[in-house]
Amino acid sequence: MAPESPFIPCLATLKMAIQLTPDIKLLSVELEDPDIRASFDYKPGQFALLSAFGEGEAPFGIVSLPQQRDGLEFAVRRIGTVTRALQELEPGDTLGVRGPFGNWFPLEDYEGKNIIIIGGGIGMAPLRPVINRILERRDNYQELLIINGARTPQDLVFQSEFPTWTKAPRTRLELTVDRGDEQWKGRVALVPDVVKELAPSPDNAIAIICGPPIMIRFTLAKLRNLGFKDNQIVTTLEAKMKCGLGKCARCNIGEKYVCQDGPVFTLEQISQFLEQP
Amino acid sequence: MNLLASKDDLIRWLDSLLQERIVIAPVRVQEQTMFQPISKVEEIAFDFDNTTLSPKGWFLPPTEALFTVQRDDGQVNLVPALVERDAVVFGLHPCDARGIALMDSSFLQEPSDALYRERRSRTALIGLACRQALPECFCTSMGSAPDDPSHMDILLTEVKDGYIVQVVTEKGKALVPKGLAKYKGKVPTPPKLQAIPTMEVTSAMRGLFNDPYWERLADRCLHCNVCAYVCPTCYCFDVRDYSDKGKVERVRSWESCQSPGFSLTAGGYAPRTTKGERLRQRFSHKFLYFPERFRDVACVGCGRCVKACPVNIDIREVISDLQQLTEVKSGS
Repeated sequence: MAPESPFIPCLATLKMAIQLTPDIKLLSVELEDPDIRASFDYKPGQFALLSAFGEGEAPFGIVSLPQQRDGLEFAVRRIGTVTRALQELEPGDTLGVRGPFGNWFPLEDYEGKNIIIIGGGIGMAPLRPVINRILERRDNYQELLIINGARTPQDLVFQSEFPTWTKAPRTRLELTVDRGDEQWKGRVALVPDVVKELAPSPDNAIAIICGPPIMIRFTLAKLRNLGFKDNQIVTTLEAKMKCGLGKCARCNIGEKYVCQDGPVFTLEQISQFLEQP
Repeated sequence: MNLLASKDDLIRWLDSLLQERIVIAPVRVQEQTMFQPISKVEEIAFDFDNTTLSPKGWFLPPTEALFTVQRDDGQVNLVPALVERDAVVFGLHPCDARGIALMDSSFLQEPSDALYRERRSRTALIGLACRQALPECFCTSMGSAPDDPSHMDILLTEVKDGYIVQVVTEKGKALVPKGLAKYKGKVPTPPKLQAIPTMEVTSAMRGLFNDPYWERLADRCLHCNVCAYVCPTCYCFDVRDYSDKGKVERVRSWESCQSPGFSLTAGGYAPRTTKGERLRQRFSHKFLYFPERFRDVACVGCGRCVKACPVNIDIREVISDLQQLTEVKSGS
């Protein structure tokens, strides 16, 4: 007898793949089963495991908005065999989806606050649905400051959405790169330094941050200098989830299972972990 | 009520079980005693002290396919792995039955692991009480005992005339052959074990999490992973795809937190880069994280890791060191 296994992914079809940067593609994925598609409830910050059959499975944040159920979106950076295989899929090809897993950014709790979004490189991926959800309910939030950094201008993700973000009321988008090129007229600075320069006020504010560990480490220091308390800083942890079910123990950090207890944590919660990620 | 099965009764009984089920029993393989599916009763090693590996591999195989990927005309079809037959694990000791019960805590917790659950429900445990305690045994300090029937379906105890048959569960009752005599004799006294004090090990583990003790202990660790390999309660796993001659399978296999790549993320970050941090992870999972999640300490006192470790890292010493260091800290 074949038991109903939580390891078996839902089959899905790649609808569209857009090259966002030289190594990042935005995959738009449709679940094949209409019933599963209709009931696929998710929130900004949750993740799913994508399968490239024959190569394996890896976790990705869901970067579309929750009401978008016919085209789940994932930003996939080519970094290993699974991501390479996912990027090589052609529209119409089959892939697997398991999820949604994990907790989410509690955006309802942040209503009435100033929001600072700080993302570096592919770290912008889980923040994109946060930005778009806030813009959708723009009146529920105060100022929105987005600081988006990347290694080079080519590596900035979601560029096609920048005009929408910039035009939204009380919304400011600040771009920065580590190294410019001939066309780049914007900022050339590291994300932590931009945070220091722009000096957002901690009053009635929440900072949501995601990026490479080194960017996070230095940015946290700047935010704390500005007076942000650890319960005002929220991040989402990258971990090596193999099952998403709290069993394989690969994402275990201290007493937490990132796939079940996270991936979204406040810095206050993280500082209480036995082991520091 | 206890029954008595003579040695011949037991052999006939196992023979009849073998007609209808898979029987997994201790088998001598070169110098090792391993739990394996048998094809005839003569293969069973009845005179073993402890098996080299616990029977956890029947429920969580070292390597198993979770499903197969089939492609017909571009159409992908995922074919789940099957659990086709009922089974009996014969000859496991009480510590190993407890090990299975501890694995249940994680694998049967919702969302439960379907293959594990199916194997577990279709497998009966016919255990064997221990005749002697080995130097590395400490099951009585870890909630079990050489004659503990808990978590078994049937427990057998060897006596002069055969085996005392103690039926523990309904599942076990259904397997007992008809016509066995009642056993009216004495139940032999179980062997005595050296007790190790385990009080407050969980809080000691928490208190000493950042102690230099772990790096010092790990100095001699070779991260060979044998402790996790032989452990009846280590259950961390890896999941990968394998393709061979057009056959594509998603495969799960044992993995250990002692491997440097265990928690390495795509971004190149690993939470535990030193041997000390990784060795601490092993003991933290057993003494702290597992009991905080599921109540019990994730060790059954089988002593296999004590015997197998090439550099004599002894879990009993770790427990005692934790307690002594805690005393020193609180005394100063």
